Amino acid sequence: MRFGDILRLCRQNLWRRKSRTILTVLGVIVGCCSIVLMVSLAQGINERNEQTLKQMGDLSIVTVYMNGGGTVNTGSGTETIKLDDKAIESFRQIEGVSGVTPMMNFPYNATLKAGAGGRYVADYVQIMGIDMDQFERMGYKLKDGVMPAKDGQVLIGEWTAYDFMDMLKGGDMRYANRGDGSYSCTYNEATGECEEPEDQEPFFDPMKTQITLVTGADYQGDPSTMQMYGNMGGTGTQSETVSLDLNVSGVVKADGNKGYATSSGLVMSVDDLKALIAKVNPSAAKQGTTYDQVLVKAADLTSVPEVESQLKSMGYETYSYEDMRKSMEEQTRSIQIILGGIGAVSLLVAAIGIANTMVMSVTERTREIGIMKALGCYVRDIRVMFLTEAGAIGFFGGLIGCVLSGLISLGINLIGMTYFASMYGVSTNDTESLSFGERFWQALTGGEDVTRFSVIPWWLFLFAILFSTLIGLLFGFGPANKAVKIPALDAIKNSE
Amino acid sequence: MIRPQSHGTSANGDEREKKVRVPRPIIEVRNLRKEYPVEDETVVALDRVNLAIPQGQICCIFGESGSGKSTLLNQLAGMERPTRGGVRIGGVPVSKLSERELAAFRQKHLGFVFQSYNLLPNLTAVENVAMPLMFRGVPKEQRERAARGVLKRVGLGHRLGHYPRQMSGGQQQRVGIARAFVTKPEVVFADEPTGNLDSKTKAEVMDMICAFARDFNQTIVLVTHDPQMASYADRIVTLFDGKIVDDRLNQPASSVPSIVPSTPAVQGADR
Repeated sequence: MRFGDILRLCRQNLWRRKSRTILTVLGVIVGCCSIVLMVSLAQGINERNEQTLKQMGDLSIVTVYMNGGGTVNTGSGTETIKLDDKAIESFRQIEGVSGVTPMMNFPYNATLKAGAGGRYVADYVQIMGIDMDQFERMGYKLKDGVMPAKDGQVLIGEWTAYDFMDMLKGGDMRYANRGDGSYSCTYNEATGECEEPEDQEPFFDPMKTQITLVTGADYQGDPSTMQMYGNMGGTGTQSETVSLDLNVSGVVKADGNKGYATSSGLVMSVDDLKALIAKVNPSAAKQGTTYDQVLVKAADLTSVPEVESQLKSMGYETYSYEDMRKSMEEQTRSIQIILGGIGAVSLLVAAIGIANTMVMSVTERTREIGIMKALGCYVRDIRVMFLTEAGAIGFFGGLIGCVLSGLISLGINLIGMTYFASMYGVSTNDTESLSFGERFWQALTGGEDVTRFSVIPWWLFLFAILFSTLIGLLFGFGPANKAVKIPALDAIKNSE
Repeated sequence: MIRPQSHGTSANGDEREKKVRVPRPIIEVRNLRKEYPVEDETVVALDRVNLAIPQGQICCIFGESGSGKSTLLNQLAGMERPTRGGVRIGGVPVSKLSERELAAFRQKHLGFVFQSYNLLPNLTAVENVAMPLMFRGVPKEQRERAARGVLKRVGLGHRLGHYPRQMSGGQQQRVGIARAFVTKPEVVFADEPTGNLDSKTKAEVMDMICAFARDFNQTIVLVTHDPQMASYADRIVTLFDGKIVDDRLNQPASSVPSIVPSTPAVQGADR
C-alpha cells in the first residue's frame, strides 16, 4: 500500500468519528499547553534571575583577595603567598583568563582642593590604582573625557565633584542623587513629607578646574575641615605634607562593584599610585608592593568555575557571583522540573485518552480489518494505518497546543508587563510611553529592561510537538497490535 | 498468473499426460482433516476430503449447515490452517504459507464474494472496488479507472460515488462482485453470495458471477445450501458430516449470457 493511500484512509477514519477525534485532540491540546506554559513560566523565572544577576555586576569577574597570613600548605611545608606583581603574572597564565588588574588603594588620608585659595575642599578621598590597559576589558566605563594618555593624568569618580565643601560658606555642599539608594531629604512641614532636594550643578567642572591633592604619611585632614568638625583627630604632627597638582582627563562611571573610588574618589594607574606612595613614604615603598585585591576576568561565563578553583588552589581567597548564579540556577531547575511534571501529568492523561480512542476504534473496526486482511492487505499496512491515526492525533494536538500556548504566553506577558512588573522590582520600560506595537514586540522577544513572566524558547515548541506525536505513537502501539491480530475469518463469518 | 507446478519428469507423469490430456487442476485438496477443540472433546469438521477443481470450472460445495462446507472454504482460502492434509492452489501450498505470503497470494490470485457483502461503510462504491488494487500499491487514478469499468459492467455506472448505506442489498452485492473480479483473479470464492437477497435478485447475482467466470475462464468455488443456486454450477460437491458424499457434474440450469445485462429494469428490480 502507498503511504499516501494510508494517509487518506486515516483522514477518512478520523473524520468519520469527528466528535471523538476532536475531543481526543482537545485532550492533547490541553496536555501540550500545560507542559509548554509550565516550562515557559520556569524559563521566565530564569530570565528574570539572569537580568537580576546582570544588574548586580559582571558575572565573569572573579575578585581575588588575601585572608589572614597568606600561607599555603604545599605538602612539603608552608609557603608564603603574596598578592603582588608576580602573582598577577601567574594569574594571566591561567587558561580561560582574559584580563587581570590589581586594585590598589592609597593607604593615607588625602584631601582635594580646588578654586581660588583652596576654597573648595573634599576630605578623605579614596584613591584607587588599577591597570589602565585593562580598563575597558574589566568593565570600567568613561562617563566623560578621555583615558589618561600621559603620566600624571588621572580619572575622577562620577560624583567626586559633589564631595567638595565650600569653606567660605561654612561647608556648604551641592546635592545630586547618586543613584545608589542613599539620598537625603528634608522634612517639609507644609506637606508632611520628606522631600528630596532637586539635583544641582556642582561648584565647578573637575575636568576644567585645577585640583590639588594634599596628603602625607601622617596627614589627618585639611586643617579647616578639622576645625569645623571640632578637631577630632589628633593635631600636632602634620609634619610633612605632599602637595600635587592633578590633571584630570576624564570622569569614570560609578560602579559599586569596581571600587568606591569610581563613585567618589580618584582612579589612576597603578604605577602612578606607586610613585605617589613613594613620594609620601619612601621607606614603605621600598618593601615592595602587595595589592589589596586583584580582579580576574574569565573569557566567558562557563570558564568562571574552573578559573576560580585554580585561584583557590593557589591559596587565594576568591569571590564571584558564580556561586549565587549556580544556586539560583539550581533553584530554577527544580521549579522547572516540578512545573514540567505537573504539565506532564496532564499530557499523560491525554495519552490515555489517545489509547482509549484507538482501542475503541479497533473494536469498532474489527470487521473492516478482517475484510481488509481477507482481501490481501498486508499486516504491516494495517499497523502503520493505526499508528498513523494515533500519531496524527498527537501531532495535531501538539501543533494546536503550541499555537495556543504561544498566544496565552503572549497574553500573560502583556498583562504582566502592564500591571505586575513593579511587584518584582525589575525595572520595566515605562509602559505608558510605549505604543501597543512596541509592547507587543517586547512581550514577544524580551529585551534588556523587559520583565517577561513566560518565556518560550523555540526548542520548547519543537519538543512539545515531537513529544505529543511520540506519545500518540507510543499509546497507539498497543491498539495497533491488537488490530493486527484480528483474524480475517471474523469478516467471512456471516454475522450481521 | 499462477503457473501449474511441474510435477517433475517421472515416467509415470509423462505417461499420464500423453494418454489423457487433462489440464492440471487449479485447486487440489489432499486428504484434508480439520478438528476443532470444543471443551474437552475434539469435533471433526472435515475428514479425508480429496478434491480437484480444474481451471474454469464453477464448482458448488453444497450441504446443510453444519456439514463443514464453510470450514472447507476457509481451508481453501487459507483463512485457517488444516489439522492434517493440505491445499494447493495453482501448485502453491496455501496451507503452509506465512501470513505475509498469504496476503500477497490473496492480492494476486484470489477474489471473495461474501454473504453479508462486507463493503467498507466509509468508502464509496468506486473506492470499495478499487481497494484490492490499493493494497497492491496501484496509483489512485489507475485503480479507480479499473474500478469504474467493472462497476459499469455490473450495471452500477450511475452509483459510482455512492456509499454502501445508500444502496440496496442487491446493489451492494454487485459492488462486492465487482470488487472480487477487479483484480482478474484465477479463483473466486463465493460464500452464500445470495443468502441475504430475494429470489429475483439472487438470479441476477448468480448470472453475473457466472458471466464473469465464463468470460475470463475463472474458477469459482460457490458455497451454498440452496439447491436452486447449486444448479448454476458445472459440478456439485455435496458435503455431509465433514465428508464428501456426492460429487457429480451438472448441466447449468440457465443459459448464461456472456455479457451481463445492464438494463434499467434490472437496476430497479432490487430496490
